[in-house]
This record gives sequence, C-alpha cells and structure tokens, in this order.
Amino acid sequence: MGDRRLEPILKTENLWKVYRSGKVELPALRGINMQVLPGEFVSIMGPSGCGKSTLLHVIGGLAQATSGNVLLDGNDLTQMSDAARTLLRRHKVGFVFQRFNLLPTLDAYHNIALAQHIHGNGFDPHRFEAVAEMLGLKDRLNHRPAELSGGEQQRVAIARAIISEPKIVLADEPTGNLDTKSSDAVLALLKRLNKDLGQTIVMITHNPDAATYGNRVLHMRDGMVVNGVSH
Amino acid sequence: MIGHIVIRNAVHRPVRTFITVLAVAIEVMLVIIVVGLTSGLILDTAKRTEGVGADIMVQPPSASVFMAFSGAPMPISIGGKLGQLEYVQAVAPVLVQFNSVNGLDLVYGIQPDSFREVSGGFVLDSGKDLQDPNDILVDDVYARAKKVKVGQTLHVLEHDFHVCGIVEHGKGARLFVLMSTLQEMSGARDKASIFFLKCDRSDHTAAAMDEVRSLLPRYEIRPLKDYISQITSSSVPGLDIFINVMIAIAVGIGFLVTFLSMYTTIIERTREIGVLKSLGASKGYIVEIILSESTLLCLGGVVLGVVLSFLIRIALLRLFPALSILITVKWVCLAGMIAILGGLLGAGYPAWLASRKDPVEALAYE
Repeated sequence: MGDRRLEPILKTENLWKVYRSGKVELPALRGINMQVLPGEFVSIMGPSGCGKSTLLHVIGGLAQATSGNVLLDGNDLTQMSDAARTLLRRHKVGFVFQRFNLLPTLDAYHNIALAQHIHGNGFDPHRFEAVAEMLGLKDRLNHRPAELSGGEQQRVAIARAIISEPKIVLADEPTGNLDTKSSDAVLALLKRLNKDLGQTIVMITHNPDAATYGNRVLHMRDGMVVNGVSH
Repeated sequence: MIGHIVIRNAVHRPVRTFITVLAVAIEVMLVIIVVGLTSGLILDTAKRTEGVGADIMVQPPSASVFMAFSGAPMPISIGGKLGQLEYVQAVAPVLVQFNSVNGLDLVYGIQPDSFREVSGGFVLDSGKDLQDPNDILVDDVYARAKKVKVGQTLHVLEHDFHVCGIVEHGKGARLFVLMSTLQEMSGARDKASIFFLKCDRSDHTAAAMDEVRSLLPRYEIRPLKDYISQITSSSVPGLDIFINVMIAIAVGIGFLVTFLSMYTTIIERTREIGVLKSLGASKGYIVEIILSESTLLCLGGVVLGVVLSFLIRIALLRLFPALSILITVKWVCLAGMIAILGGLLGAGYPAWLASRKDPVEALAYE
C-alpha cells in the first residue's frame, strides 16, 4: 500500500477531455480530480463508455487534455508538446493493453527488447533476464505472438511495459481478452509486481473481481469519478 | 533493432516485398540497358571510325561529330586540293548513308584505292574486294548477325547488292559499296560526306590540320587519334534528352511503386505504429523505420536489377551480335543511386504520415 505522506506520482486537477465533431461537443472526462501515490495499485471501474480508457490515454500522455492539469511525476502533461509527452512516456510510463498489441513480426524477445531500444539506454541483458525470469517467459522468448497463448502474450506485454522501469504502469483492461485462468494469472502477476517491486499500477477494468486486485478502487460514471474504495 | 524490425517486416509480406524489389529492379535495369545501348552504339561507332586508320577527318561546316547526321554536301574535288598539302600523304573521300532497312547501319561509299591508301586496306575473311557497281562488302560481325554469306544478295538502301566479300570489322562502317554506286543512288553525284586524311608522319598531324584549316576555314577538321573522347551522347541530336526521359520514367516507376508499397504498409500497420508511439517512439524513430524498409527494398531491387541487366545483355548480344551494350561501373552506381533516391522520395510521404498518426486512433484501428 502506498505511503500517503509521499507526493503523488500522478495527479489530475479538474481534468476535462472534450471531443468535438463539427458543432457537436462530447465531453469524455468531466473535471476529474484524482491522485495516485507511489507504490499504489489503483483499479478504475465503470460501465462501458464512462471514459476509463480516455482517462488512461490522457494520464499516459497519449492524448492531450482539453483543460485542467495532469501531473505525472511532477511534470504537467497539459503544458507539454507532443514531442515532450512522447519523451516523458518513453521514460516514465508503461502500457499494457487489452489486445496485447505486440508486434506480430517480432518474437517475444524482440518485442520486449524493442522497449529498451526505444528507451535509448541500450540493451541491459541483466534487467532483461530478470524480467523474463520473473514473468516465466524464458522458454518462450523465441516465439512470435501467433505462437503464444493469450496469457503468454499478455505476460510479454507486461514485460515490455516494465523492462525500462517506468514510474507507472497503465493497464487498459489487461484481462479483457483472456480466459478466467489466464486472467487470474495475469492479475496475480500485476499484484506481485506491485507488492514485491513497488511498481505503481493504474488498471482500468469493468470486472469487479479484477478490480479487487488493486488496493484502491475508483468508480467512474459519465466521465466523472463518483467514489473510491480502499482495500 | 530497427534493422531487425525492417527485415522481419519484409519477410512477413513476401509477395509485397518481391513485387517492390522487382519493380525497382526493372527501374535499375531500364537505366543501365538504355544507357548501355546508347553508350555502346556511340563507342562502337567511334572505335570503328578511329579504326579506319586515318589521322584527320574533314567534314562540312557544322557537321555533327556523329557521322550519321552529316549528309553529303562537300564537292569531291576538295579531295584533290587536300592531297596537295605538304603533310598529307593520302586522301580517301567517303560518302555516308544511313540504312534503316533490315536494321540500322551506316553504309560507306568508298573508292577502294584511296581507301586502301589511308586505311591500309581490308583484311578479307572470304570473297574479294569491291569491283562491280552492285558489289557490297560486309564486316564479319554483320555477317554473323545477319547470317550473310559471300555470293548472297543483300537488300540495303532499297537496292539489291551482291555480297562479294566479308572483311574483318573495325574500319568505319559495317557495309561498303563503291562510291559511284552510292552517289547515283542518293543523287549526290560528285559529293562526299567525309574526307579521311593520312599524314606523312603522325607527328605532322597538327601541322596538317593547320594546313587544312587554312584551305577550308569553315570546315570541321578533327584529329582521329582521340576520336572516341570526342563522341559523347550529346553528339547525337536528341540522345541526351532521350536518356534523361528514360531515366525520369525509371525514377517515376520506382517512386510510384515504393510510394504505393509503403503507403499500403503504413495503413496495414497502423496499430503497430500506435504501439510504437505508446512505447515512446518519436516521430523520427517511426520515419527511420519506414525509410529503412524502403531503402532495404530498393537495395534488393538494385542488386537484382544489376544482375538482370547483365543477363539481358548476354541475351541481347546472343540475339543481335552486331549490337554493342556498354555497362559501366559509373552507370551501375548511378542507376543504384537513382533507384534509392526514388525509393526514399516515394517513402517520404508515407513515412511522414505514419509519424503524425494519432496514437489513440492508431491503437483503436482494426
């Protein structure tokens, strides 16, 4: 559990995201105020279309907020250019997606190493081996995504997300495409990363059981955080 | 890592890769063969002209160094005056006609005696020298290419000639007839296209040229010693333009094929681009991947194109032995550079597009 005396690793202040199509305005996020402390595992729940994914994209720097502030490790994303947000994302954020989003032409080894290459600090074989070991991937590194099960692909995706030691991992429905057994395994893995390595995780999910793996749950509805629960 | 990504992408879509490589190869081959054919033709002509063995060539004012385009405007009596110059040992007037029936060839109308004095005479492979008005001599390359034998009838310049002999190649044209016959046929009685001059000593060539210039101040006086270096593609009217147009077409082919290939690639890999962006890949990183892939395909095309060029050359020379195709290192390199440049230009817009894709939209792309 995170230490509440610490500065939040992530903080949003009156965060709005409004999509415009011609004269029609569609607010996806309406004045969200939230914070995540270092070492927390926060689950964000809500029905489909409530803005969970949009929130994840904005706090991860993939999308620009319309108004408000997003402070990620002390950096205000709303004041940054696209290039600056890309740089910040490279060094401080790891993403895990529902559809795994591995590069189909690369094997597991290169999918993970790609993140290190983009990070720019060169290939770290010790870190690589430690992550592969931790995620049980050592025997599967030479296989391409099409040759891996859903659970294995998601483990590769998690390895890719954490290989460069990001400040925060943002997981968008990481078990959405997995069967129950694989889902439990992936969630347990995320829990272990949080508990043993202190990895800060924000996970969005519509599954109440999955949400309990976090130590705090925020509920969203219609672009707003309606309440939060600590475990 | 980028190299690995690029190679894996190329291998992942073998048909697309092959088509792109083949198109670039065709582009490269087109440039090499077109330039090779034109250069070969020019060089071959120049070599054979130098092979006449004369020291000086006299042509009418403003005549092209490439003789097929000179006509026959000089009175043959000029030959007599040229023969009286101090350093001139022998003069051979030649009437040049361009034959386009059953091929493209220059025909020399000669006076056998004067031509022998200047050139040292033909080396006969078979048959005999020109005697009758309808006699024609062909060189061995022509004979082999057209399967011509002594005694055959040869239809040239809309006239039936009797092949009286086959000579060793290298003395100007491939076909020789009597000058008087050619003058009658072309209505250029008592005219010549060129005067070949032999000097008494080779080191008197410059002095002899001065003498000729004094006699014929407006005429084109050329030494034949470095004739090859004087003939370039710009000696043939329109050839430079033709070569440039062919190169432009080739570049266009390469550009369009690469553009289409890379454009469909980035559409197909939209989600991958979104993934790369989510990992923090910069616009430059994504552009580098696209351009690297394009360069790899172009390099493959260049290698294949060069190989195909040599194979095509072998095939063409087997089919047309009289042809000359000159493939030089310079033009192989230029063709390669043109192909890669065309490929980079073609991939430029798709690469730019890819770099600007919105990561959220790209990740959601189906």
